[in-house]
Amino acid sequence: MGLRSYIIRRFLLIIPTLIGVTLLIFFVIQLFTPEQRAMLYIRDPRQIADIDDIIRIYNLNAPLHIQYFIWMSELLSGNLGFSHTAHTTVVNALIQRFPATIELVMFAIPLTIVIGVYLGVISATHKDKIVDHITRSVSIIGWSLPSFWLGIVLIAIFFGGFGVFPPERLSISVQRYVTSTEFIRYTRINTIDGLLNGNLWVVLDALQHLVLPTVTLTAISIALIVRVMRSSMLEALNKGYITMARAKGLARKEVVNKHARRNALIPVVTLSGLLAASFLNGVVITETVFNINGVGRFGVNAALNFDIPAVLGFALFSGVLFIVANLLVDIAYAYIDPRIRLG
Amino acid sequence: MSIKHRLREFKAGMEPSIKETKFMLGRIKQSPLSVFGIAIILFYIGIAILAPLLAPPTLKDPYMIPRERFYPTPQPPSEKHPFGTTEDQLDIFYGTIWGTRIAFWVGLWVVAASLAIGLVVGCIAGYYGGIIDELLMRFTDIIIAFPSLVLAIAIVAALGKSLDNVLLALVLVGWPGYTRLIRGEILKAKQDDYVEAAKAIGASDFRTLFRHIIPNTIYPVVIVASLDIGAIVLTAAALSFLGLGSPSGYADWGQLITISQNWIYGSSQNPWEYWYTFIIPGIFIFTFVLGWNLLGDAFRDILDPTLRRR
Amino acid sequence: MKDLLKVEDLVVKFYTYEGVVEAIDGVTLNLKEGETLGLVGETGCGKSVTSLSILVLVPPPGKIESGKAFFKGENGYFDLLSQNEKSLMKIRGKDIAMIFQEPRAVLNPVYTVEEQISEVFMVHRIKELSERVLNGIEEDLRKGGSLRDPIYRFEKKIYKKILKNPNSLSPKILSKIPIIKRYQRRLKKEARKEVVSVLRIMKIPDPDRVADMYPHELSGGMAQRVVIAMGLGCSPELLVADEPTTNLDVTIQAQILELIRELKEEFKSSVLYITHDLGVIAELCDRVAVMYAGNVVELADVFEIFKDSLHPYTQGLMESIPRPGVEFKSIKGEVPALINPPLGCRFHPRCPKGMEICTRVKPKRTEAKKDHFVMCHLYSGS
Repeated sequence: MGLRSYIIRRFLLIIPTLIGVTLLIFFVIQLFTPEQRAMLYIRDPRQIADIDDIIRIYNLNAPLHIQYFIWMSELLSGNLGFSHTAHTTVVNALIQRFPATIELVMFAIPLTIVIGVYLGVISATHKDKIVDHITRSVSIIGWSLPSFWLGIVLIAIFFGGFGVFPPERLSISVQRYVTSTEFIRYTRINTIDGLLNGNLWVVLDALQHLVLPTVTLTAISIALIVRVMRSSMLEALNKGYITMARAKGLARKEVVNKHARRNALIPVVTLSGLLAASFLNGVVITETVFNINGVGRFGVNAALNFDIPAVLGFALFSGVLFIVANLLVDIAYAYIDPRIRLG
Repeated sequence: MSIKHRLREFKAGMEPSIKETKFMLGRIKQSPLSVFGIAIILFYIGIAILAPLLAPPTLKDPYMIPRERFYPTPQPPSEKHPFGTTEDQLDIFYGTIWGTRIAFWVGLWVVAASLAIGLVVGCIAGYYGGIIDELLMRFTDIIIAFPSLVLAIAIVAALGKSLDNVLLALVLVGWPGYTRLIRGEILKAKQDDYVEAAKAIGASDFRTLFRHIIPNTIYPVVIVASLDIGAIVLTAAALSFLGLGSPSGYADWGQLITISQNWIYGSSQNPWEYWYTFIIPGIFIFTFVLGWNLLGDAFRDILDPTLRRR
Repeated sequence: MKDLLKVEDLVVKFYTYEGVVEAIDGVTLNLKEGETLGLVGETGCGKSVTSLSILVLVPPPGKIESGKAFFKGENGYFDLLSQNEKSLMKIRGKDIAMIFQEPRAVLNPVYTVEEQISEVFMVHRIKELSERVLNGIEEDLRKGGSLRDPIYRFEKKIYKKILKNPNSLSPKILSKIPIIKRYQRRLKKEARKEVVSVLRIMKIPDPDRVADMYPHELSGGMAQRVVIAMGLGCSPELLVADEPTTNLDVTIQAQILELIRELKEEFKSSVLYITHDLGVIAELCDRVAVMYAGNVVELADVFEIFKDSLHPYTQGLMESIPRPGVEFKSIKGEVPALINPPLGCRFHPRCPKGMEICTRVKPKRTEAKKDHFVMCHLYSGS
């Protein structure tokens, strides 16, 4: 049947999941008062004076299913309300801040996966030796550390102590340069823009600022991967096809890397859905600690300042990101494990 | 049927589990890491119980940290303040000791409430099946999968910033997990012969549930709950850290760390001048969660059927 | 006929949490060129461990303690058990190949049939394949005038390197670089031709389609043929078959046995066939080694074993074959746990002809009749 039709089927499955997420957010919305909920439909701050009108127009006191339809139609027309902390529409605010989050995540995710898988494999192939014990200890320590605390301690040690790896996204001078007319911001992702503009200083500066947040974000999620990879690797190494591969004359290393690892990755991939959630949580904390102007910090800020449309927009946005992440994970899963494609 | 009879029945149903428990405890004693974990938890239980003795409260609400004389900067550890003071002269020692109580409070309450809700909903879904089960499972699936911190932030934003609302938010985020667990066990038990037999004799639904199914769910629940407490305390601390939990000056570990953020860098001669403001509360959180994680890990390893050997 | 394989006093122990399991307790057997030697015994008697020991593939916590396994190479006999890993890798899959029980457990579910069979070729016949590739490249270059000529020349350089030294580093590095690694396509095409041809020899219908299938898409019989294809792909001198038909339907079993018999003729291999099924032994084997609790208790021609067995255990086995009209007989007692094996002869607790000496002294292997070896005090002339 093949990979292609599986991907198409999987795409179609997004729709019910999206509906489910909107339902969830909708229930959270109902926890607010009608006045607060009215804020969701306003695009312009000047409309606040007519709040009673708005409540009437959008039927905010009507039964739940009607409210749900009204809200969904607003959503689908692109209106998430106005954010007073960002002084623009919620949609705009999210778009502006999204690149910062992407930049953080685009380094952290590959690092987490690569290092996590590698440590898991070593741990399994050297079971009960020193490497294994160290990896498992580090793993459980990482799992128990409060992420925000790790971030703060890292800042204290490296930036406070040694003056390297500053928080935030760019140093002040580079920030000024990047927002000037000399620099074209294609993606608003500093590392990529720096490369596209041919300016290595921007790239290096951005990277320097990214070190600690990436380490913090990675540390949070890596423990889970290492643990699952280790146990699934141990299971794979016990299987018959491993002995067969060696009986064919393959070297131990090749057998581990080629035969065992791909099978061992399967549970890790299924776990990646959980990992996506963990990353989204981590992003919120990391952006707050390191003062990065991304989507996560936006949401927290909004929550602290009673910016309701922003909080809900942020939650919805996270939900969508999360669904996309799961889709990618499922596709990766089908790529690795051909048995899934038969459906 | 008398209560005494019901109790006796419940005990009888529990008997094999009790024997198992004794065996498990024996195994636990053999693993150094789990003993370490238990030691940590016992240590914190001790601190929580002895809090009024270790750090006598001076304000009406013992959970509000007392303030001393006014200094502009945090003060290092001294005889009067064994862990030093943080911003606004809040005593760190007091904060961390009483914060232990808060940590237990949050962890245990959230688990208890989530478990209670999970039991009810899980029983309904598992026992009655059909479309009720389908709908409930879809719904819980989404909550479980959704990033917990994001959801909790949205809920607290709606309900208002307070420690109680943090608790509520965590319960709302946590109950689906237990629901799934209980429902799974019920589905497994439904297939077991003795439930069929009990039904054949004419045992009522409630009695079947009570005597047969619930005792069997205790082990998975214990594993999940003990691993969960660590995660719950971390999330609650994160919410407090973000400013969505207890008010400033409250004896809450997350709170203490958030107000220490202004003091991460000291003067140029000594960048670590105010280390005690964030290191000490952080160590409390870390070791507390570590204890529960070690314990949960130990439970999981021990209850793993492939490792069991009599 | 000369011996192809001679195992002498093999001792294998397993160091488990519960204690040391004396799995193989001094096994001696020989396999002659061109013959099919059956290795028969109950589950747990050590047949699989013996076969794995030949290729030094005993999994931990098992350890080959002592013994020798002489194999006939180009320059005479050498001891397999004292070879280093590198030499063993050259032998496995090429001179000695092994196939296993439960074919679908032995095939990796995430790779296609082609990918798994061509592995043997890539490891052992890469020079031959590279030569063919080079011929193909020469052809392409001779046609000449194409835009791709510089690419062909580059590929020619790589393959010449591989031909000279299959383990050379640069082709391996190049195989990781995205676009450049397409040079491997030629090699894969040649390998695929070989795969399809060997699948055809295995009497698999529509081999082209099967080559692209995944193991879960194959039936039990087909899967086992694929496994056999992996084993015989490089025309090994010795094929070790560990219960290859045990989990298959009886009809499929018959087909596979027939296939093995034909292939043995065609590839001129010798076969060490491990099974617990006496019927298969009768059909397929020239000589038989009977194992019990880690020892070879009897080794003789197949007719001798069936008509005139000497060891009480073998006799018990023969008598326990169900026959119409005859009362069903079985050997009383149970196979001993090998953590604490019985002293003396390991069979003595169940032996109807047991003597006092059997409880104390382990019997020596003696040649009771010509080419008929037994390990029993009844025949040791004491």
